[in-house]
Amino acid sequence: MTDYALTLSEVCRAHALASVSLALLPGEIIGVVGQAGAGKTTLLRVAAGLLPPDSGTVQLWGPAGYAPETPVFPPALTVREVLAYYARFHANGPTRRAMVHDALELAGLAGGADARAASLGRADLHRLALAQAVLGGRRVLLLDETLSGLDPLARRDLCGRVAHLAATGVAVLLAARDLGALERLGMGRVLVLRAGRVVRAGPLASLLAERVLEVILDTPPPEPPPGFRVTAAGLEAPLAGRTPEAALALCHAHRLAVRASRVRVKSLEEIVLDAHDAPR
Amino acid sequence: MHFLRCVLAEWTLVRPRLSRTRFGAWLLLLGTALVWVGRRGTDPTGVALQAGALGAVIGAAFAAGSSADRAALAIALAHPTTPFAVASGRWLAALIPAAGLTIGCSIAVGWETTAALAGLAAAAAVAGCALAAVLLGGNGAALVLFICMTIAGAVPPEALVGVAHPGAVRLTVASALELGPALWRYREIATGSAGAVLHAAAWAALGVVVASGLVRRRAWRAP
Repeated sequence: MTDYALTLSEVCRAHALASVSLALLPGEIIGVVGQAGAGKTTLLRVAAGLLPPDSGTVQLWGPAGYAPETPVFPPALTVREVLAYYARFHANGPTRRAMVHDALELAGLAGGADARAASLGRADLHRLALAQAVLGGRRVLLLDETLSGLDPLARRDLCGRVAHLAATGVAVLLAARDLGALERLGMGRVLVLRAGRVVRAGPLASLLAERVLEVILDTPPPEPPPGFRVTAAGLEAPLAGRTPEAALALCHAHRLAVRASRVRVKSLEEIVLDAHDAPR
Repeated sequence: MHFLRCVLAEWTLVRPRLSRTRFGAWLLLLGTALVWVGRRGTDPTGVALQAGALGAVIGAAFAAGSSADRAALAIALAHPTTPFAVASGRWLAALIPAAGLTIGCSIAVGWETTAALAGLAAAAAVAGCALAAVLLGGNGAALVLFICMTIAGAVPPEALVGVAHPGAVRLTVASALELGPALWRYREIATGSAGAVLHAAAWAALGVVVASGLVRRRAWRAP
């Protein structure tokens, strides 16, 4: 029998989620992507128990930590006091102090523990959101845009910390509009949401293995061959099982002057856009 | 036990707010003004009632009135606490500084146990009402409540109804003064009125229950 960390079974929520099911394993990272309003935040809030589903079931094996998209903390408190406040809900005395210490270390906030919450920049706010989410040894983390909108160094640092948590067996459900952050994590599965429905799902590695043929032409074509789309430099087409030679032969058959060609892997952004543009 | 721990967690937010925000300065200013008024003829019960009620409004504003404090409630509920524990803790956070102010002012103008008890009851009732009001309307609601308590809180309904225009306005004003937490009513605690004590207790309990519902709603609606 599989030991799950979190399962959602046909969860519906009015105007936001339509029969979403997923199973998250310990140590696994699932990235939830999709345009604004696709239902990512609602999905996480339902999983965290902050919103009740209209129908369907949410099952958690152990408590879940939640980091919201726009983390707001009591502004008069320092980082350490914020964590101590939340830690009081979990434990008392030395256990609580150890909990706060561990959370500060884990989120990389030990050096700025005495800074006021109101003075934190975006990256440190997300670090603090991550730190409070892991308090109490949570084994499931629900992170809403925790890796989005950060400078490259902060993003790399937080990606490393999330990956480290996953390596210790913590299951992570991560909503992300910053697809580069998911690619940097380089692990786990991706779930593409559109209008509250899962329209694409699969392991990140297999999604990123999809290949595209780029063709540079001397002159822009009057009409692209079937399956190709026009780009600034010429044409491109997903290979989707075809060989590059077969795709190039199609260009030659259409009497296109091919100057050069190359095969590249699809970016996650292209995969998400394809899933979004696909007919319903 | 866990419930008490969650309530006390909210109470721990008070000390940093007293020293790092204007909360402490406002309480000090209010206390100074009330002692000044008390030494110029206002009776000790009146001073204690004003200290309790106005201190509780300020306490509630600094416990949950700012938009940041209200937005932060959503994260608290992602931890093992409950809206009722959060509301109870914030009520305590509004009440205890007001109680301290009431006792301080009572000592400064001449201690009377019955007057201080009336002030504490007023603080408990107004803290409940103010907490619900600030969770609903933010610091704007606290300002309205503060002005109402300062101007009309000590006036019995008969006196206001007499000067108000007839009709719906008169009825509304009379009803608000009759039902709401008002200093004229809690003044009767000093003379041993059990009805006034029950009225204060009912407002404290109702305020916490309504506030817990608003805390839950805020968690659902958080960005």
